[in-house]
Amino acid sequence: MKPSLIIDHSFGEAYAKRLGVAPWRGNLPGPKLEEWRFTPLRSLAKIAFTPATDDVSVDAVPRAVPLIAGAVRLVLVNGAYRKDLSSADPGKGVELSHGKVAAKDGSSLVALNAAYAPSSLALHVAGAAKKIVHIVSISAAGSEPTALHPRITVTAEAGSSVTLVESHVGLPGETYFSNPVASITVGEGATVRRYVSVDEDSAAFHLATSLVKVAGGGTYEAFHLGLGGALTRQEIRVALTGENANVRLNGAYALSGASHHDFTTVMDHIVPNCASSQVFKGVVDGESHGVYQGRIHVARDAQKTDARQVHKALFLARGPAIDCKPELEIYADDVQCAHGAATGEIDPDHLFYLAARGIDAETARSLLVEGFLADAVNEISAEPVREQFAADIARWLKARQ
Amino acid sequence: MALLEIKNLHASVAGKEILKGITLALEPGEVHAIMGPNGTGKSTLSNVIAGREGYEVTKGEVYLDGKDVLDMAADERARAGIFLAFQYPVEIPGVTTSAFLKTALNAKRRAAGQPEIDAMDFLKLVKAKTAVLGMPYDMIKRPLNVGFSGGEKKRAEVLQMTMLEPRVAILDETDSGLDIDALKVVSEGVNSLRSPERAFLVITHYQRLLDYIVPDHVHVLANGRIAASGGKELALELEAEGYAKYLNTAA
Ligand SMILES: Nc1ncnc2c1ncn2[C@@H]1O[C@H](COP(=O)(O)OP(=O)(O)O)[C@@H](O)[C@H]1O
Ligand SMILES: [Mg+2]
Repeated sequence: MKPSLIIDHSFGEAYAKRLGVAPWRGNLPGPKLEEWRFTPLRSLAKIAFTPATDDVSVDAVPRAVPLIAGAVRLVLVNGAYRKDLSSADPGKGVELSHGKVAAKDGSSLVALNAAYAPSSLALHVAGAAKKIVHIVSISAAGSEPTALHPRITVTAEAGSSVTLVESHVGLPGETYFSNPVASITVGEGATVRRYVSVDEDSAAFHLATSLVKVAGGGTYEAFHLGLGGALTRQEIRVALTGENANVRLNGAYALSGASHHDFTTVMDHIVPNCASSQVFKGVVDGESHGVYQGRIHVARDAQKTDARQVHKALFLARGPAIDCKPELEIYADDVQCAHGAATGEIDPDHLFYLAARGIDAETARSLLVEGFLADAVNEISAEPVREQFAADIARWLKARQ
Repeated sequence: MALLEIKNLHASVAGKEILKGITLALEPGEVHAIMGPNGTGKSTLSNVIAGREGYEVTKGEVYLDGKDVLDMAADERARAGIFLAFQYPVEIPGVTTSAFLKTALNAKRRAAGQPEIDAMDFLKLVKAKTAVLGMPYDMIKRPLNVGFSGGEKKRAEVLQMTMLEPRVAILDETDSGLDIDALKVVSEGVNSLRSPERAFLVITHYQRLLDYIVPDHVHVLANGRIAASGGKELALELEAEGYAKYLNTAA
């Protein structure tokens, strides 16, 4: 028996009835679950959510969503695919379909998603996808607190390659809870680049789960950006299932006000000769709270594993808090594993150097924050996306001044 | 009116008085050299003029063009035309030299009521200035000073100076860590900026630099005071005889 993990929630009978589906019988993760210790869901559990319906009128993509050069756009509103807002053709090499979400095991949030996701946006990649695929997931609450469960499935066939961007944005209004799940399968020798930006409304909850499998010789390069919301968690679970798989998982967050952001990663090395690296960086201001939990598991057979992770946070004020928890579970003996963690403040010598060149204090701080986040952001290999994410961070910095 | 006027300047660091009454006037077009043993307060003087925090001015005044400098924040002083080439330039990871230069240049332009520099003009300007200083143009893509050799850092300081075209430039031991070729290049960079509207305060430990940047006045700083002033021949004398005599008098 597991300890009591249950907290109250509103995702039972009544919720299911409004959708006309079978009810979810699970429970939201509670504070006694080790993985959720730093991110309690008390405030979320107090709210009675109703299902997002697709009759919310959203007739355009919010202007804040960037247009990425050379990308096709696929738009979800409250998790449902909106053909009218999407590009006509997902581009050469990518096939689009919409399927029922299979209820499978997984965390309670994944099961909750499976119970109530409208349908899955499924991308099938064969060969080299020509264009960047930009998925825009819009949360549009009605007059009541709204929950939505977007589901994305990406299957990259052996030898194929694709670059994906996900923008998660909300329309201002009532509070909402977005519970997206992405399942990514990287086939043998395939390359998937995936760049996720979460920029939710300041009262919103966003608890995202990414489930990634990388086959032999496959490459998964991901970057996750978190810029706000009341409570955001980006949980990324990666299994390297074939030899010579290579994973580069990076991310950055910039928090102000009372925002809470949690990066939880699980890197599961199962077979020999794989490499994974993680660079996560965060900037915290106001009374915000940043969390990084990174677990690296190296199975007994996974010899010659090279696994690294680093998390660094920069405090812009005295009010914020950071929780950082690296966990290395290594059962093989011939491996290279390294982790590093550090927190700090802006160096006054750096500020003086910039001041001595005529740069005012606010601009100097912005430049230094962008510089601090740069070694994570620079890991983004797709240039237009790197520039876009850097611009998003610059915009966050401007807004905070 | 002197371009930079320092009057009876006293300053303390961590409660200890380092500058004990410095008076200096730099007229437009002049180059003043300050020489002195280690630990005598040369960098303290340059930091106080540039406005670094942690230095307490207990007495005295500093004027730029008649404006009270000690009243201004460091960034205001820089925009007003004071430039400090650091003895130890800091490394700033993640901030490219190019982003930094552009931000600094635009800060100055904005203060002067000019529009921001056009991207192409900026690149052209950097190309021209790096070429003069014998620096690879690509170095502006690197993070500011990160992994630069001692000599590269000093060249980068001079590059910034030639781009920002200050009224008063303070060079704090810009010659240290330079080999003779680099010394010549850096000196040429400085000399190219010499003009009737500009003044220089060249702090150095060695006379060698003054063969290339020929000063109008040389001052000896010892024990927080100007112990002697003279022409460029004073530098030669110091080279031959050392500072012992000034330290003894002051003691
Ligand atoms: N930040 C500081 N804190 C404490 N002492 C300092 C600081 N900066 C300078 N000093 C002291 O002030 C004196 C003068 O230093 P400095 O101005 O660097 O000399 P110079 O440049 O002539 O070698 C030295 O005794 C040095 O130790
Ligand atoms: Mg010094």
